[in-house]
Amino acid sequence: MFDIASDHAIGLYAGLLALPLALFAIRLRRPSLVPGTVLGASVFMAMSGAIHLGLVWTHLDETITAALFVINGLAYIALSQLYSWRWWRPASVALITTTLFGYLAYIVLGFDTPDQVALATKLIELTALGLVLVPVRGERRWRRSRWATLGVAVPLLTFVTISVVCIDALARPDAQHAHSGAVLQQTNDVATPEQEAAAKQLYDQTLTAIAPYRDWHKAWEAGFRPGGSPSLPSTHWMNQRNVERGYVMDPTHPQGLVYANSMHGPVLLGAMFQMRSIDNFGPDPGGPLTAWHQHENICFTPFGFEFSLMTPTATCPLGAIDITASPMLHVWSVDNPGGPFAVDIDEKVVKRIDQG
Amino acid sequence: MIKAEAPSARPEAAFVLLLMQSLFWLIAGLSAAPFVLGGEIHMAGLVVATLLLGLGTCLLAIGVLWRSRRARGLAIALQVVCLFGTAVLLLLPIGFNRGPVSLMVNVALPVALVVLLRKDGEPFS
Repeated sequence: MFDIASDHAIGLYAGLLALPLALFAIRLRRPSLVPGTVLGASVFMAMSGAIHLGLVWTHLDETITAALFVINGLAYIALSQLYSWRWWRPASVALITTTLFGYLAYIVLGFDTPDQVALATKLIELTALGLVLVPVRGERRWRRSRWATLGVAVPLLTFVTISVVCIDALARPDAQHAHSGAVLQQTNDVATPEQEAAAKQLYDQTLTAIAPYRDWHKAWEAGFRPGGSPSLPSTHWMNQRNVERGYVMDPTHPQGLVYANSMHGPVLLGAMFQMRSIDNFGPDPGGPLTAWHQHENICFTPFGFEFSLMTPTATCPLGAIDITASPMLHVWSVDNPGGPFAVDIDEKVVKRIDQG
Repeated sequence: MIKAEAPSARPEAAFVLLLMQSLFWLIAGLSAAPFVLGGEIHMAGLVVATLLLGLGTCLLAIGVLWRSRRARGLAIALQVVCLFGTAVLLLLPIGFNRGPVSLMVNVALPVALVVLLRKDGEPFS
């Protein structure tokens, strides 16, 4: 969702190229009696048309999709120049709405996955729809019905589009994403015997090193501090000194510990290694067994480990900021169905511990 | 010869962009709500604040449509704050999203609004 698909990048360039051309076309025609909202919609539709036509070249092996891109692109380009036509508004509304629903059908049916180019195009189209519908002062034709359509269609289509994209990203993450927002380090597919041995050694060394921290008082003395609300099922306790000193996967100096918030106090679930910089994953002795992960596009709040995920429209709640966390690797000291180095600990395991 | 001109449509265009911006904030507020149910109790405050911001932006959009000078001033102030915040986040090495959607929503949209609401011509008099 936050990446640019390699076969979609050309669409982005085509759209950017169309922007000055569309502005030049308007300047050439000097349509003095046409409202600015219509001209704005014309520019946005020209951009969307160019993006669709640009995508044809990278989808030639998908005949139906390529044909739809051609039809869609040409229709957008034609309508972007036909703004004086009597039926321009109904035709534009029909084209934009059909295109949006067509895209959503492609996503729901699994023919495509949302990416930045597609999302940017949909936002351009939704804005164009608003500009097509909004009546300007002095315009009397269909004024009331245009306001009614604008008030319902634009919010509804925006919510539906973003919801479908969001749900798809959560329900069908691609191979490199463990879940929305977490990017996995790329490794070989199957661990070699050497990698298995290295992973076991790391696991054993870490468990031995963090054993004293089963008593949370010892963790506190060592400088680990809880982040986030104790009402959450589990809490990360971070050691700022270990973070700042930049230890790299040192079992005796983990950057964080994870505790379950049980009825009888914190129960150690495992350790967390974290890189100091957001740019590089850490060493990966166990190959696929010890792949690091990185949380991208999370909305970090002033309340420590309370966060939400950034929306597909790149917005966070007020007071939260979009960040990318440094790569991290968990080592779970309790039996975790996903494995001892899994990205997440199983919720059922935490719940069982929380209930004592 | 007096040449006929279309009436200024800048407030209507700004209305559409402000409507889109308010929808983005409403979506951000709603998308954070499940995290409150998951135990992030403090997030509830941010959810409510974000929904109110979305609602307030929608009201500003209506004010701009009515050519209210106060709404215009508040809308410009809001966009300046957004642009300042985005500039800070873009400069800090925290991995702020620099994708096309982020740049459209957090940079291009506020800039377009400031341009549309600027004080030349007299659409807000």
